[in-house]
Amino acid sequence: MMLLRLLSWPYLRRHVLRWTLTLAGIVLGVAVFVAMHTANRSIFSAFDKTIDQIAGSAQLQVSAGEFGFDESILERVQAVPEVGVAVPVIEANVETKIPGQGSILLLGIDMTGDRSLRDYELKDADDAIIDDPLVFLAQPDSVMVTKEFAERNKLEVNSRVPLLTIDGEKQFTVRGIMSSAGMTQAFGGNLAVMDIYAAQQVLGRGRRFDRIDIRAKEGITVDQCKAAVKAALGESFEVETPSARGRHFEGLLRSYSTAMTISSLFALIVGMFIIYNSFAIAVTQRRSEIGILRALGATRGQIQRLFFLESITAGFVGSALGAFAGVGMASVITTYMSTVLEQTTGFAQRVTELAIDPKLIVAGIAIGVITSIFAASIPARSAARVDPVQALQKGKYQVLSAGENRRRRRMALTVSLISVACLFLSYSKLFFYAGYVLMIVAGLLLAPALTLLLSKCLRPILKQLLPAEGTLAADSLVQAPRRTSATVSALMLSLAMVVGFGGFAHSFYTSVGEWMDNALNPDFFVSPSANLVVRAITFPASIRSVIEHVAGVDQVQLVRNARVSFRNVPVMVLAIETEKVSGTVHRMPVAGTTEEMNRLTGQGKGMMVSDSFAQIHTVRMGDIVELPTPSGLLKLPIVGIVRDYSDLQGSLLIDRSVYTKWWNDDTANVARVYVKKGEDVGVVRQRVIDALAGHHGLLVLTNREVRDWIMKLIDQWFALTYNQIAVAILVAVLGIVNTLTVSITDRRRELGVMQAVGGLRNQIRRTIWIEAFSIGVIGLVLGTALGAINLYYSLGMVKRDLGGLDLDYIFPLAFVAFMIPTILAASFIAAIGPAESAVRGSLVEALEYE
Amino acid sequence: MISLSHVSKVFEGKRKATALEDVSLEIAKGQVVSIVGPSGSGKSTLLNLIGGLDRPTSGEIRIEGENLAELSDDDLTRVRRDKIGFVFQFFNLLPTLNCLENVALPLHLRKWPRKKIEARAKELLNLVQLDHRLEHLPDELSGGERQRVAIARALSVYPPILLADEPTGNLDTHTGQEILKLIEDLHSRLGSTILIVTHDLEVANRCFRTVSLRDGRIVEDRRR
Ligand SMILES: Nc1ncnc2c1ncn2[C@@H]1O[C@H](COP(=O)(O)OP(=O)(O)OP(=O)(O)O)[C@@H](O)[C@H]1O
Ligand SMILES: [Mg+2]
Repeated sequence: MMLLRLLSWPYLRRHVLRWTLTLAGIVLGVAVFVAMHTANRSIFSAFDKTIDQIAGSAQLQVSAGEFGFDESILERVQAVPEVGVAVPVIEANVETKIPGQGSILLLGIDMTGDRSLRDYELKDADDAIIDDPLVFLAQPDSVMVTKEFAERNKLEVNSRVPLLTIDGEKQFTVRGIMSSAGMTQAFGGNLAVMDIYAAQQVLGRGRRFDRIDIRAKEGITVDQCKAAVKAALGESFEVETPSARGRHFEGLLRSYSTAMTISSLFALIVGMFIIYNSFAIAVTQRRSEIGILRALGATRGQIQRLFFLESITAGFVGSALGAFAGVGMASVITTYMSTVLEQTTGFAQRVTELAIDPKLIVAGIAIGVITSIFAASIPARSAARVDPVQALQKGKYQVLSAGENRRRRRMALTVSLISVACLFLSYSKLFFYAGYVLMIVAGLLLAPALTLLLSKCLRPILKQLLPAEGTLAADSLVQAPRRTSATVSALMLSLAMVVGFGGFAHSFYTSVGEWMDNALNPDFFVSPSANLVVRAITFPASIRSVIEHVAGVDQVQLVRNARVSFRNVPVMVLAIETEKVSGTVHRMPVAGTTEEMNRLTGQGKGMMVSDSFAQIHTVRMGDIVELPTPSGLLKLPIVGIVRDYSDLQGSLLIDRSVYTKWWNDDTANVARVYVKKGEDVGVVRQRVIDALAGHHGLLVLTNREVRDWIMKLIDQWFALTYNQIAVAILVAVLGIVNTLTVSITDRRRELGVMQAVGGLRNQIRRTIWIEAFSIGVIGLVLGTALGAINLYYSLGMVKRDLGGLDLDYIFPLAFVAFMIPTILAASFIAAIGPAESAVRGSLVEALEYE
Repeated sequence: MISLSHVSKVFEGKRKATALEDVSLEIAKGQVVSIVGPSGSGKSTLLNLIGGLDRPTSGEIRIEGENLAELSDDDLTRVRRDKIGFVFQFFNLLPTLNCLENVALPLHLRKWPRKKIEARAKELLNLVQLDHRLEHLPDELSGGERQRVAIARALSVYPPILLADEPTGNLDTHTGQEILKLIEDLHSRLGSTILIVTHDLEVANRCFRTVSLRDGRIVEDRRR
């Protein structure tokens, strides 16, 4: 402790800038980690809370995926003797047309029975409604909104609220304002209650419900009641407690949160390199100090402890700041993430409060401190090994000993051999990830030797270009491999991550592009909403003939899709008109033959699944998939595996005839429309719009609009990760600043000599810039190489654990081409500060500098 | 050639130190001048000011009529690189460059053509009798050899002025003598104006003129 105050503090004070940069690495890593997890938890807990609050005193909920079920099921449930109260519910996110409000959760309930489960505490209402709910029923445009929503939008009883319905934008009248605490908080207060039969109408649901909420009869336990209802309905219905239902959503979002965790870990790893770099530099700079200490009788242990204490302090300060910043960032990220999730999965959620978990903050700080200790451990050990005699001599320090180099290379070779061996065993998850980690470790072990090699290769080139400046810059790199290689490693790692991720994104965009070309080729799409993942509104099959009768229309294909629970995870089921679709869509099969799979699916003898579904649920051709339907368990074999990106969690394709039969429903939510050859698409589209005008508020989206919309979704999905990559690059650039700052301190005298023998200030600046550029170039070369490997593993990881997408390996050339100027420009910017401080300051002092 | 009038140098700081006080000095072209004085008397400071490595607090320094105070940093550097060669007590060779590269450095900084640079650097190393050590790094040379490289570097552009701050201070007597002979030799060949700071009276006595400093003032200016 004494040593820490005596030695570390003055050193720290002299190098404030560098330590600030070092801490920035930890701060960023921990902040991203804490922010991501807080955002994740906040969203999950908002989901749970909303479910819980809307459930009222319901103990069990009966559902059958998003497709819903026939009204007759209600009677069957009510007939179960163990059931006390059973009421129907329709639940949907609909868009409000109030500016800035986005979507609102619309709850359709049966006013007569529902109040025994839910208390609406009507604060403000027509007396008539409070006395007699039937009045509410009598007017189908009635809604009740929460007090919060009313206050936010200055609504009163009899105010009008515009909502998007099957008939387009429609005005509803506020008949009551709810002030019950529970209801008001659900969905951030954006909740509207409507009569269930009115809801069926405005959402185009036909005579179907989404859910039945149940309370058990007095004296009957929840479990008894659940068993009884299950027995009455058969296994194709889910009968669950409200909280169990919330867990399904977590399954749905898992891949997103995993991706987030992984990228925040990357930020931490890069941060770790910066710490390593700073400590390695500190150890070399303080060699003579350490030498003196050792000469004065300090033990190796004491020296090592000194550096450990420093790293713990740095780690703690950085992590605490990071955790603090993370909590600050969390609310922004939460808002962003919930938007992305709503847009891509259709599950909207409004997060009103952050779920800040003290355990998470402790974990974040612990991770930061451990990272910091880990990063400092090698420099601390080499500090302890400093030989007092050598350290007190001036001159060659820093040089990596040949033995150390050889040891590193041998280790790198062994590690990469093991890693390659792991590839052969990569069907096992453990071996796959072990191989991945080892490959990165091998890269890091090799980095110093390769840096040295590349610097030596660069020297003659630079010498040719700018004899004085170039040679000196290259020599500076060669001379201090430790200083250089830690930065290069950090840069390499960030770039490897960028290339891996960019390659994944590129492959994904390419693959989605192909899929859109093949499968999404109708001339236009008819849908109730511009947002195709919103499935709250459906339309009757009769729309088909309306469109088909429009002159110029060649074919109409109806699609009905929704999530259904499969092995307790909601998966996307698409009911398509297989025969028609097979005439217009030519998918490349991943397994099976196109003809066979289309024929069997069309005949209702099987289903096609997306490769991601097959991967996530580890199913193969011929396996039987069981889906719960209102008419019982639907069992169909997998007759084909195809690429399909309708949903990121994978999708199932069944024939529309199967859907109508088993779900007893013939509504649709999208109509795919093909125009006759030779007809003008724009003209036909206008005709369709005119034809639909009298019927419903359906939108006619062009192919371009749908493609752009999908691309926008993917962009959004990737955006947050892009930002994290930017953070990683930023951290790596901070590393360059760090290295250069030290480099000019180390070379003060050299730069002074250069000026004394006639070097102009610009020539000195150029030396620093060239050094920075060289670090950038070497980092680029090594980063691209490691990136090519990382991409292989990234794609493997995506396939195994992140959505099961099986993507082709496409090296992202354009992306790398874009990174080259970016990194070089960043290196240049990193060099500005150090270069200026190199030309400033006293020459005389620089020449005397030891 | 070199003219100082009423030059003072005060180092501001926690403890104010007056290194030079009201120094006036004229040095004609081709003179060999030694500067002597006890430690801390301001010898190095004087040399640094003449060489344009530092600027005086007050007074005027002219090199071939040009007032150094009126020059920007880069122009000062240009004067230095065209007119002045430096030899330091601790050699100040760049450890990563070999002898040839060290000598060539000032020429590269002046953007001479490559061929000319190599010829000149070799010529000078030949002059200091180190033509057999072209590829050696400074680490691999003896102290005397290093100083010879440093002298070759200082003279690589044939500067009209050579400034040497205790060029023999770090060498044994015999090697010191050799270096001095070398400097004299070069003087007779190139006709440069030479200023040598030294502690060694024997060295001083060989010079045409000796300036003695004490506490930042000139106490004696003796010509032979
Ligand atoms: N950067 C500085 N800051 C403060 N004082 C300085 C600085 N450089 C020199 N001095 C002071 O100026 C005075 C003259 O120093 P200078 O280096 O010129 O002496 P010197 O004659 O060369 O001595 P020596 O023979 O020991 O080399 C000294 O008293 C010294 O303490
Ligand atoms: Mg001196």
